[in-house]
Amino acid sequence: MKAWFRSGTPWIWLTGGALALSLVMVIGLLSLIAVRGFGHFWPSLVAETVVTNHDTGEQTLVLGEITRTEQVPAAVARDAGQFVPEGIELVERVLFKRGNRDQFGQDFVWHLGLTLDEMSFPPEVLAIERREWGNFYGYPIYLEIDGERIETDDPRFRDLTQAAVDRSLDYRQRIRRIERTDIGRTSRELENIRLEERGMQLRGVTGPDLEEAQERFARQRALLEAEFLELRSELDALYASQRRDLLHMRMSDERELTIGFDNIVRVTSPNDITVLAKIVEYFDRVGEFLTEGPREANTEGGIFPAIFGTVTMVLVMSIMVTPFGVLAAIYLREYAKQGTVTRIIRVSVYNLAGVPSIVFGVFGLGFFVYFLGGNIDQLFYQAALPSPTFGTPGLFWASLTLALLTLPVVIVSTEEGLARIPTTIRQGSLALGATKSETLWKVVVPLATPAMMTGLILAIARAAGEVAPLMLVGVVKLAPTLPIDGEFPFIHLERKIMHLGFHIYDVGFQSPNVEAARPLVYATALTLVLLIIVLNLTAIAIRNRLREKYRSDSD
Amino acid sequence: MTIKTIFKACALAGAVTLGTAAVADVDPNLPEYSRASGVSGNLTSIGSDTLNNLMTLWAEEFAKFYPNVNVQIQGAGSGTAPPAITEGTAQLAPMSRGMRQSELQSFEERHGYEPYALPVAIDMLAVYVNRDNPLECLSLPQVDAIFSATRLGNYNEDITRWGQVGLTGAWANRDFALYSRNAVSGTYGFFKDNALFGGDFKSSINEQPGSSSVVQGVTESINGIGYSGIGYRTPGVKVLDLAAEEGGDCVAASADNAGTGTYPLARFLYVYINKDPNRDLDPLQREFVKMLYTKEGQEVVHRDGFVPLPESLAAQIRADLGIN
Repeated sequence: MKAWFRSGTPWIWLTGGALALSLVMVIGLLSLIAVRGFGHFWPSLVAETVVTNHDTGEQTLVLGEITRTEQVPAAVARDAGQFVPEGIELVERVLFKRGNRDQFGQDFVWHLGLTLDEMSFPPEVLAIERREWGNFYGYPIYLEIDGERIETDDPRFRDLTQAAVDRSLDYRQRIRRIERTDIGRTSRELENIRLEERGMQLRGVTGPDLEEAQERFARQRALLEAEFLELRSELDALYASQRRDLLHMRMSDERELTIGFDNIVRVTSPNDITVLAKIVEYFDRVGEFLTEGPREANTEGGIFPAIFGTVTMVLVMSIMVTPFGVLAAIYLREYAKQGTVTRIIRVSVYNLAGVPSIVFGVFGLGFFVYFLGGNIDQLFYQAALPSPTFGTPGLFWASLTLALLTLPVVIVSTEEGLARIPTTIRQGSLALGATKSETLWKVVVPLATPAMMTGLILAIARAAGEVAPLMLVGVVKLAPTLPIDGEFPFIHLERKIMHLGFHIYDVGFQSPNVEAARPLVYATALTLVLLIIVLNLTAIAIRNRLREKYRSDSD
Repeated sequence: MTIKTIFKACALAGAVTLGTAAVADVDPNLPEYSRASGVSGNLTSIGSDTLNNLMTLWAEEFAKFYPNVNVQIQGAGSGTAPPAITEGTAQLAPMSRGMRQSELQSFEERHGYEPYALPVAIDMLAVYVNRDNPLECLSLPQVDAIFSATRLGNYNEDITRWGQVGLTGAWANRDFALYSRNAVSGTYGFFKDNALFGGDFKSSINEQPGSSSVVQGVTESINGIGYSGIGYRTPGVKVLDLAAEEGGDCVAASADNAGTGTYPLARFLYVYINKDPNRDLDPLQREFVKMLYTKEGQEVVHRDGFVPLPESLAAQIRADLGIN
């Protein structure tokens, strides 16, 4: 035994064990997120069964996706007032997603396994993803296209339904294009006129100048409004044609309902499609999740604005933190006289890394948003007041707060990098006649760039995963307008953004429809992890390139 | 009004095509919203998280009329609303309780007039228990004795076991897991003022960051009890009927009871705006407010699970603001 200890083998086991444990935990966590996240998009079967109420003998039909089942002790169910025969210890409970929230009030329902009949999966059932009120499950009665009635046994039924969905989506795109670009432009110009007018009032312009300007404003306004009306009627026509097609459906309780195709995103018959079609459907849904905006208070639809917001914020932060951090580190290491003061500064910087991130958020809100932003508004955007421009949380302040948060990481790793450059290289450079600054900027700093990149990688990883401070300084639940678009000045630093981390928090803890939102939490978490991996891999690739470059240079 | 006309009205409004059941709860006399021109810019809302989803749904609805308007919503709790509207960082300040005197005062000091409170929906604060709990009804003094350490509701004893509210069997000796909101929330304030009669919470409550985490907490623990807006109801929990006083009638949390005022914990949800009495609202704010008091706006209230306002009240507010 003693010999075994002395041989050093226990240390190998200990360290190996620690590594294995960490790996198991990381892989476990990731696979949990991955399974739940990826699983959400798979089109599941819609089950139909009869529920019998034990007391009244009343039978009702239930139609819906089986979300999950759980076992509860029979005693608990009995206490809750449900009938469970003697001799049973555990009863099964099934959660159905029955959809049709507009009709039933709630789209999920629990039923005791004992009360359920045999499940069947009727092939004619349609699952309809709607823009509002969540999914609809039911049996089609007939399709109405342009007033023409198409029965379900008509061989064209399925194709025509699909065609109607495609047409509606196509209309929608055209509507969006008109709304975003054309109407957006006219409204923006109108707003600019209003701001200009208000600006003149504030400057106290009077007399003929004012009259002339007002006349010009009125003329421009009339022109724009005429243009607006024209676009409006064009839109109304599109809306009307979008509503021309209707789908008549029957619900599980025999009630009938008409759904307009303007409210339909997708129609599937989940019990009657092949595996191949399901795979196509799956990737279609994943694609929609990644590229579309959210619907229904973030509980449905996609997360594109959140992905875009996270990436933009991290990039703006990198642009700000890198130069500041690197310059500060260079001064601290190369120029400053090493002594008590530098030591205090260094310790303070290290400690800054340990300050809770929410403190940075409060600082950002108080100093950046209220003080800096408020003053910027007073100086440059007075015409827009009381609507704030920079005096409200936004992308710029969020990035700046994060830059502050990650500054210590960049400073520390740059300093480490500079310290690692051998003195012989500096001495060699000085001996060849280079000045101190030439040595620094042409020899030492380039050799330390990989270390700076390491700092940046750590900063990015930290920043992308941070949520708490961002809630105060610019990340919001809904911000459908992206911070970068085709409108001058292209990057809108004053806009608020959506963020994946905050989205997870919001959907997980604040959405009214928790059952429906839960899979989205996993899917969003998975996206965030993948995004951070991509950002890191990019930075690592750049670092390796730099390292190779300087290695060959110094050879 | 026949099914067909309702259906038509909804379809024309570019809204949902609904069946009767859903629309019936929205006052049919509410006017329809009609689009104005020249509305553009950023609209920021900071405040209540009870109203968070409602604001988001309104923003989505508003975007249908004004696709180029950028509505941005932040909801950390009602407590964040007054500073935001006072500092001018937000134009809309949704709150699930009325502003306190001190908050009104600091706004008035800054601007010289009081903020304008818009009641936008009716909410019922529901008391939730786990779905396996056989209890049906509690009186407010009982609720007070369960949640509060001070017992200002004059219930004769502190309630610490489910048996004390009439449950038997395994339940008799079960204790409570109390779920509450955090102090920044207006729901917390309202519950404290009305269900606890202004008293203090027990120190054993679990303070949750969001309304739906209260509901999730109650779902996960069999002995859980908590409170949240009625819009956060899920199949995992049960909504208790409430009686205003000991021995009083049990009143269910339904839209009718909220309208008549018999449900003891019904309340208005507010959106505060900065309205200078001598100046008109700017067009963006005006149109958003106007939309709240139309059929489209109140249908959204219904969709989020809250109780829509009657036309009589809506008309009064529209007239007061001069935005008909």
